[in-house]
Amino acid sequence: MTRISRREVLQILAGGGAAAVLAPGLAHAADTPKRGGQVVVGLSQEPTVFNPLRPHIEVDRGVHFGIFDSLWRTDDKGQFLPNLAVEIPSVKNGGISKNGLEYTVRLRKGVTWHDGKPFTARDVKFTWDLVMNPKFGAYTKVGYDVIAAVETPDDATVRFKLKEPFAPFLTAWGDAWIVPAHVLEGVADPNTAEFNTRSPIGTGPFKFASRVAGDHLVLAANPAYHGGAPPLERVIFKYIPDLTVLYTQFKTGAVDVTGMQGISAEFYGEAKSLPGVALHLHHSPSVEYIYFNHGKPWFKERAVRQALYHAMDKRAIIEQVYYGVPKPIEGYLPSTSWAYNADLPKHEYNAEKARQILDEAGWKLGADGIRAKGGVRLSFTNSTTAGNKLREQTQALLQQNWRAVGVDMQINNMPAAVIWGEFYVKSKFDTLLVGIQASVGDDPDCLNRIHSKYIAAETGSGRNVSQYKNPQVDKLLEDGVREVDRGKRRTIYVKLQETLRSDLAYLPIFSYVRIEGVKQGMLNYKPNSNVLHNTWNMHEWGWRA
Amino acid sequence: MRTYLARRVVQSLVVLFLVSLGGFSVLHLAPGGPIAIYTMSPTMSAEDVERLTRLLGLDQPLHVQYTKWVRGMVTADWGRSYRDGRTVGEVIADRIPATLVLMLSAFVVAIVLGLATGIVSAVRQYSVFDHAMTLGAMVALSIPTFWLGLMGIYVFAELLRVLPPGNIGTIGAPFSLADRLRHLALPAATLGLVMVATWSRYTRASMLEVIGEDYIRTARAKGVAGPVVILKHALKNALLPLVTLAGLQLPLIFSGALVTETVFTWPGMGRLFVDSIGYRDYPVLMGLLILTSVLVVVGNLVTDLLYAAIDPRIRHA
Amino acid sequence: MSTPATLALERFVRHRPAVVSVALIVLLGLGAIFAGRLSPRDPVYIDLTHKFARPLTGGHVLGADELGRDVLSRLLHAGRVSLAVGLAAMAVTVVVGAAVGSVAGYWGGLADTVLLRLTDAMLSFPPIFMLLALAAFVRPSLASMTVIIGVTSWMDVTRLVRSQILTLRERDFVQGARALGARPARILARHLFPNTVGIVAVAATLAVARAILLESYISYLGYGIQPPLASWGNMLNNAQSYFATAPWVAICPGLMITVAVASFNFLGDGLRDALDPRHVRART
Repeated sequence: MTRISRREVLQILAGGGAAAVLAPGLAHAADTPKRGGQVVVGLSQEPTVFNPLRPHIEVDRGVHFGIFDSLWRTDDKGQFLPNLAVEIPSVKNGGISKNGLEYTVRLRKGVTWHDGKPFTARDVKFTWDLVMNPKFGAYTKVGYDVIAAVETPDDATVRFKLKEPFAPFLTAWGDAWIVPAHVLEGVADPNTAEFNTRSPIGTGPFKFASRVAGDHLVLAANPAYHGGAPPLERVIFKYIPDLTVLYTQFKTGAVDVTGMQGISAEFYGEAKSLPGVALHLHHSPSVEYIYFNHGKPWFKERAVRQALYHAMDKRAIIEQVYYGVPKPIEGYLPSTSWAYNADLPKHEYNAEKARQILDEAGWKLGADGIRAKGGVRLSFTNSTTAGNKLREQTQALLQQNWRAVGVDMQINNMPAAVIWGEFYVKSKFDTLLVGIQASVGDDPDCLNRIHSKYIAAETGSGRNVSQYKNPQVDKLLEDGVREVDRGKRRTIYVKLQETLRSDLAYLPIFSYVRIEGVKQGMLNYKPNSNVLHNTWNMHEWGWRA
Repeated sequence: MRTYLARRVVQSLVVLFLVSLGGFSVLHLAPGGPIAIYTMSPTMSAEDVERLTRLLGLDQPLHVQYTKWVRGMVTADWGRSYRDGRTVGEVIADRIPATLVLMLSAFVVAIVLGLATGIVSAVRQYSVFDHAMTLGAMVALSIPTFWLGLMGIYVFAELLRVLPPGNIGTIGAPFSLADRLRHLALPAATLGLVMVATWSRYTRASMLEVIGEDYIRTARAKGVAGPVVILKHALKNALLPLVTLAGLQLPLIFSGALVTETVFTWPGMGRLFVDSIGYRDYPVLMGLLILTSVLVVVGNLVTDLLYAAIDPRIRHA
Repeated sequence: MSTPATLALERFVRHRPAVVSVALIVLLGLGAIFAGRLSPRDPVYIDLTHKFARPLTGGHVLGADELGRDVLSRLLHAGRVSLAVGLAAMAVTVVVGAAVGSVAGYWGGLADTVLLRLTDAMLSFPPIFMLLALAAFVRPSLASMTVIIGVTSWMDVTRLVRSQILTLRERDFVQGARALGARPARILARHLFPNTVGIVAVAATLAVARAILLESYISYLGYGIQPPLASWGNMLNNAQSYFATAPWVAICPGLMITVAVASFNFLGDGLRDALDPRHVRART
């Protein structure tokens, strides 16, 4: 985590950098659903980790949202909603001390765990103790290790004493699920407790009911939920590994919600005209790129990168392969970001220009139709996750586009477990076709990903896998993290996007648009790009009466 | 007999050891690993990922990891899944019922149809039926199981809409035997059809050998009715080699089941294997490997012993 | 006068499915060898205006797939890949299997025991589990697929060769050669191998059938031959999604696999009948 001075933190907090609104808790929406019924969520991976503090993947989160609560949550508009806390702490209401070192949270009274025992401040303290316990394999310590001590002056008050000011504290604890002290404290080894995989107990709107391994799991409504009993009787998470089969089941009505990856773009045309189905198109902050490995000989020259961009039929990829669903983009920030630069030059598909640029740069066409310069053939590999159909089609198209200008691209795909290991982290690739969410939450900072000091292949840590080195960019990144004024920050990040675009550090293709399919008649399904799973408000879901 | 058994057991253990060593090496020496799935997670930092690597013991030298695993195996501790920390035994045990149901149903389909067609073919040798069956059996053996399954889904689930396209039961509905059977029909038929071919051919060959024997001719000469001859005398003796077939087929069905389970979204061990490969969940993979190898070895052993016990002409020194 | 060879040929010809299979295999082989010339289009040529073209439209005899690539062309080129893997894997299987089997059978003793245990170990791996595990962990290519399939299928050949050599070893002509002081290599080459050709040939054709089938399984699961290189198996990779829009893309490759595998199986059957009269159906 980058260091920010105390003064800067307080300025951010006072200026309302994070929207701290006193919202009336997770209330029901206007359209009231009827009571009863079930919703079947289709997932292409199986959720099996039920202790939200243990290492888990996105799909497990979906279940955590139902069983557990955190102190507060981020809603679809980016606001914090109090959950187990009564209100969001802020400097104004005294929840945050003036020096930014103390956070006092008032907890909701009358909340009970699924086994009937009362929820108290002790549980919050226990959660922190557990994560910090060196013997426990917590999935992250970010937001926890900055805390020096946790005090519980009474059952309904928790006081966090920080070692140093930490601006993202509220965001971090929006993600912190509270687990029951009375269940886990007596366990011999919390890493292997039954709680983790068979009998999780939370304070959430749903209780864990049953599971058929490899098939589905059932959550049953918690009538004693502090936010009011959820309208639904049951939520079932069904595991269907094949996306086509998942879509078919959705079509036939067996599945009510296509979770996580949603509906593949190729089915969009058909899905649009399906009766009894409501589609939600929502922007996800992820962007699809072609990443260059700047440590490899071909990509050191800007001319090559430029030519490749001109030779690429970007429109065909978006319109034909992805059926026009995602949006073309020229930078790393989605159009919904407050730092988005709308004035970046648009991509121009011009194969002739590409050939010209390469000729002028000295890459001459060889007898085999492939260009070469100084004995180096313009031939490299492009890798992505094997089995991703639409990406494979994109690669086939790119191969053809680039062949036409004398560039030989070979496809080298591998399974996820291989490509995202050393191959990615230690920059062993030539080029990648990859989707990245550069900024976490609403912050445009991406220092870790493109600053020259963060190349893991050289220094051992960091996520600048492209090995991109540009002192101008470095300075902009550093300034961006230090600046507190939002207006001034915006200027910096606008310039950053401009620089990256003109230098073509990577080739941006499109910004993701997820197609979420929901059965018609289902109310209160709200896609939320600020959280990892769209089951975040399942306590509000229900069927139209 | 005792020494033979002892010898075989020792040899089996050596075989299992070789299998485990081979499997372990392939898994660990290959590129990629179980940590890769966390690399792209937006909620875990690089330090968290490294901490996890150490937690799972993946930073230790291979021979240390292997010895640890062997020691665990010997004390019936099969380790814990890298994915969720469940014991490997629990993970696998959860999936066995689904695979067993599928396999046994397929077996029933195969044996019933196989025996029937085999017997008729043998009795009506060289008839049109016989030739058609032989042809059909060979073709059935040549069809890729997954393609057969896909065709089945297309015809019965999408075109005719009489059977569901997959899963073990209707989601969220209370348990109903009829519903379960409807879901079992296509996968069992697909898996069974390929085996029908083998059973049919073996039955036919075995029956033909027996029919040619003297005691059958004697029975016929004595005036015993045709069907009785077949069913009472011939079949009994023709079953002997089929016992061998059963013993050998049982463990092999896990393979066919893997592809069938994938096509029909069946939550069995085959699917577990495919998923675990995706996650590089080494402990579960090793557990599955050892389990199926044990079954193969035990299957072979039992078959050999049964054969020796049933047929007095074969005795092992 | 009828030599053993002509008698064998006669028996083979009587096996009608085998004869038909030879014709089919020749056809498939020609299709594979001349795939380039026979293909109406370049199999990797993407024409997005022809996405999912129906058969017999736009110049596509068998229609086009999701990228507008001609199915017939892809089928022919995929045949090249699948058949090549099948034959090459068979070669590996036969060579390894015969080598192991002859060493075990001829020398016996410790070598035999060790090799038998090794064979048993390999046989204890359920075939597709082992294949999937290896394929998932190795970088997939024509060469690696061939090696993996070959290396997991040699056990049957070993057993056949071993038992044949064990039987032959005690025969007079072999004993005689030994007494005369002939070296093992010579005995193997001149006396033993020629007498195993028959069973090895049968096993080899069955091995091709098995290899083609196994390649299709792994490629279907996504761990085998990687697109855009086409094999019959990976053309079925996304078959499920084709049924709604273009069923022919899912039906053709599967049909080809079935025809190819069945042909080799029948061929093996015919060879078995031809070479071993005891296997011919006994006339009562």
